[in-house]
Amino acid sequence: MSTTVRPGTETAWHGEDVTIREVLDALEAIRARFACSEAGDDEHVHPRNCVMTLISVTPSEADELSAEQTTLLIGREHPAQAIVIREEAPVRGHKLDARIGTEVQRPQMGCPTECEIITIHVGGQAADHLAELLDPLLVSGVPTYLWWLGTPPFGKKELLDALRICDGLVVDSARFEEPHRSFHGLSRLLKVAHHRLGLADMQWSRLRPWRETIAQFFTPADRRKFLSGIAEVGVDYAGEGRGNRIAAALVTGWMAAALGWKLKRAAAGPGGVVVAHYEAGARSVEVAFRSVQKDHLAPGELSAIRIAGASQGTTFRLTVQHDPERRAAQAEPAYRTLHPTEGEDDAGFELAERRAEWHRDVLHENIESLHHTATGDPPGESRPKRPVVLSRDRRRPDSQRVLLTMIEIGEGAPLRHVQQLDREDEVALLLDLLSTGTHDEVFNRSLAEASALVDRF
Amino acid sequence: MKVQEAPNPLAEGLHDYRVADPAVMVIFGATGDLSGRKLLPALYNLAKQRSLPAGFAVVGAAMNELTDQAFRQLAGQKIHQYSRTQPIDDRVLAAFLDQLFYVKVDFSKLDDFRALAQRVRELDNTNHIPGNRIFYCATPPPTYQTIAVQLQAAGLNTGEGFHRVVVEKPFGYDLKSARDLTQTLQKVFAEDSVFRIDHYLGKETVQNILAFRFANSIFEPVWNTNLIDSVQITVAEDIGIENRGAYYDHAGAMRDIIQNHGLQLVTLTAMEPPLAFEANAVRDEKVKVLRAIRPLLGEDIEQSTVRGQYVRGWVLGEQVPGYREEKNVAPDSQTETFAALRLFIDNWRWAGVPFYIRAGKRLPKRVTEIRIQFKRPPHLTFGRDAMKEVDPNAITLRIQPEEGISLKFGAKVPSAGLRIRSVTMDFQYQTSFLVEAPEAYERLLLDCMIGDPTLFTRADEVEAAWQLIDPIEESWRNSRPPLETYPAGTWGPPSAAKLLQADGREWHRP
Repeated sequence: MSTTVRPGTETAWHGEDVTIREVLDALEAIRARFACSEAGDDEHVHPRNCVMTLISVTPSEADELSAEQTTLLIGREHPAQAIVIREEAPVRGHKLDARIGTEVQRPQMGCPTECEIITIHVGGQAADHLAELLDPLLVSGVPTYLWWLGTPPFGKKELLDALRICDGLVVDSARFEEPHRSFHGLSRLLKVAHHRLGLADMQWSRLRPWRETIAQFFTPADRRKFLSGIAEVGVDYAGEGRGNRIAAALVTGWMAAALGWKLKRAAAGPGGVVVAHYEAGARSVEVAFRSVQKDHLAPGELSAIRIAGASQGTTFRLTVQHDPERRAAQAEPAYRTLHPTEGEDDAGFELAERRAEWHRDVLHENIESLHHTATGDPPGESRPKRPVVLSRDRRRPDSQRVLLTMIEIGEGAPLRHVQQLDREDEVALLLDLLSTGTHDEVFNRSLAEASALVDRF
Repeated sequence: MKVQEAPNPLAEGLHDYRVADPAVMVIFGATGDLSGRKLLPALYNLAKQRSLPAGFAVVGAAMNELTDQAFRQLAGQKIHQYSRTQPIDDRVLAAFLDQLFYVKVDFSKLDDFRALAQRVRELDNTNHIPGNRIFYCATPPPTYQTIAVQLQAAGLNTGEGFHRVVVEKPFGYDLKSARDLTQTLQKVFAEDSVFRIDHYLGKETVQNILAFRFANSIFEPVWNTNLIDSVQITVAEDIGIENRGAYYDHAGAMRDIIQNHGLQLVTLTAMEPPLAFEANAVRDEKVKVLRAIRPLLGEDIEQSTVRGQYVRGWVLGEQVPGYREEKNVAPDSQTETFAALRLFIDNWRWAGVPFYIRAGKRLPKRVTEIRIQFKRPPHLTFGRDAMKEVDPNAITLRIQPEEGISLKFGAKVPSAGLRIRSVTMDFQYQTSFLVEAPEAYERLLLDCMIGDPTLFTRADEVEAAWQLIDPIEESWRNSRPPLETYPAGTWGPPSAAKLLQADGREWHRP
């Protein structure tokens, strides 16, 4: 296990072929050392402040690095114990490799805290028994969240076992390898996981500005009647195929669950548009899903939502568009950081640069067509099994993105309203989800409705 | 009868989802200090959080001759300078400034208010606003009544939609002026449309007092005279009066802090559980506490109150002038910059428990906290020697800074013998939640837009507070007790310490 090249933290301990007992002993020694070093001569040691245990299960080294970085940033604001797990190929007789990284925070107000990140590489059968492996490491009395980067093994016993020790599971359905199938797995988890488990999806968190904007439109008392006058909904999304329709289904599922719409049927319409028909009391509501070409959006991301209808003789139309006027700035692609320079000289840098370019050209720019050719899956149906290169690129942390809302009511002039989108990096999304404790009934209902809709696609 | 709106089903589950109806907010005194430092930055941050509805517009109203564009420029500068969130997002700011307008208003001229009305009606049409208006008086208190009367004369307080007025503390100078103000405001606006801001109530930590007491089952059973020895409330500032000399020299620490912030903290600490966290239920309970406070009259005032004025001294390593040397302060000023009192709440829960309150300027540090001091154990099981390092149990609610709560209790010192020492169990707001707390004005402005007056002060609360303060002020005017001095950078005059020493207690050093 590498003990260098870890952003931010200092390696306080590492061990190869060790047991959890040894990790625990090391942790105890690190904590005691910190507590004693921070206490003054005339005061007792400060209490250890910890608000949660955050376990990240990572499918690749790139994800491991990403999880360490994310949990470190969270730990800087909110003292937590972070555990990062990665499964490795089993070696007979080898137990596990572990590393404990620490970073001390000295807030202006309050006591210093030490953020701990315990990184564990585990292989063989032990990896299938995460609960038993991790239980001794959990901090008593604070919630435990499991953040599964990539696609969790839905339907498998090992996932349910791992969830036994957790209060919440956080996934990102935008990163599922087979979005359509995995989304069903996520939905089924609601029925089979233990009743205390909260379920959270970063995709749902990304939809929050859309949901807020739509809800805002219907909030004034004189517009509430429009809720029962909705006749048409249009959802535009980037990318092709049903696998890229997950976010669109989720936002539709949210509206259907909230407004009591019943799904009747979904059918392909002209121009590649898929139309779902809902029954809303005596009325019907038509929801059209349209794939659009938007280079600045990641596949599956929402591009626009239009809601139109009439009530008591007044027509209304709400249009919410994602960053309609400008292309989002390109963030530094993650693949660059994945290539070590193999030496701090020009040759080493050039080699790394060439590898990075190959990654970009071959794996990134042409990913859709390459993957489609390689697997034979229809567009959007599946994603590379190990999205090492693409995982970070699918979401672009551009803090300048906006939602543009256009409101038209009756004969009045359209009203234009611009709102900023929140940061969409994993730190911000995780904080958003964890701050609500991952128990979100509205998400659960929306997920169930969306799953039913995805079924019809 | 007001018909209860059905909730918006699409709003369910959107945590912090508190979106107001579109409205026009008119800020009187829009070019002033409060508007620039607090209101405009708070509105910008609400826009940034997507909490302002489409169509929401702000009309600045002040004496200066400004165009819309000049006002936007001024607002942009203030937001850059004072916003809680940095860096400023240019697109959010541009969109926010687009909805800022300006009308020159001389408060004495009805025609100016008519022009304002015209501008507001235009915005109703262009922004799909159903007549909703909020009038924010970010102006000196003596102008509140004039503004209210002019609003009525210009017909700005009637018509479709809601019409709310926001006024800042102090609400009056004494009981009579507070009643006059209430009467004037109530002639123009319904009481539930009058929002009296005491920004302390917008602080998360102040609201957390109620959560701490009423969302937990372990504290409330001990929260009474059976186990509590005394309560200390400290509202200390290290700064002087800055550029508020003209105001402060007429107000003093009692009117500036104790009459509002101080008594609000007393009510939140002492109130009975309300039936619900709902405006009138909460405020009813607060008023009951104010009415149960034993009035200080006659000799009580000399024995239970202390007033002091700072003289030249050292604060935070810097030498600072005395109060009478400050700008716009009379050289022979008798205004107190420090006040301390001992109060008793005559009800079943608090019988015999003294509440000590102190507030002052140029004290050693800026700190606001409530300390609940518990009684000593009835029997010293471990003997007097083992317990000599142990203070009585105490819960400290830290309002600012280092927001949090700590519990002090005794624990055995690791050793062969048996010695007990005080240790602290600590909760820190800053590091225990995964979300950033909004600024008090953001919370209160949004509450006002939504029409939730829970965190605003009701007329009867204001009057009950003045009923307690008026006799003290009158006695102080007659130098009973006399005004003492204290060097800047100390915890008040000697009598402040004596106030507690007389009861066998001492102030906790925050």
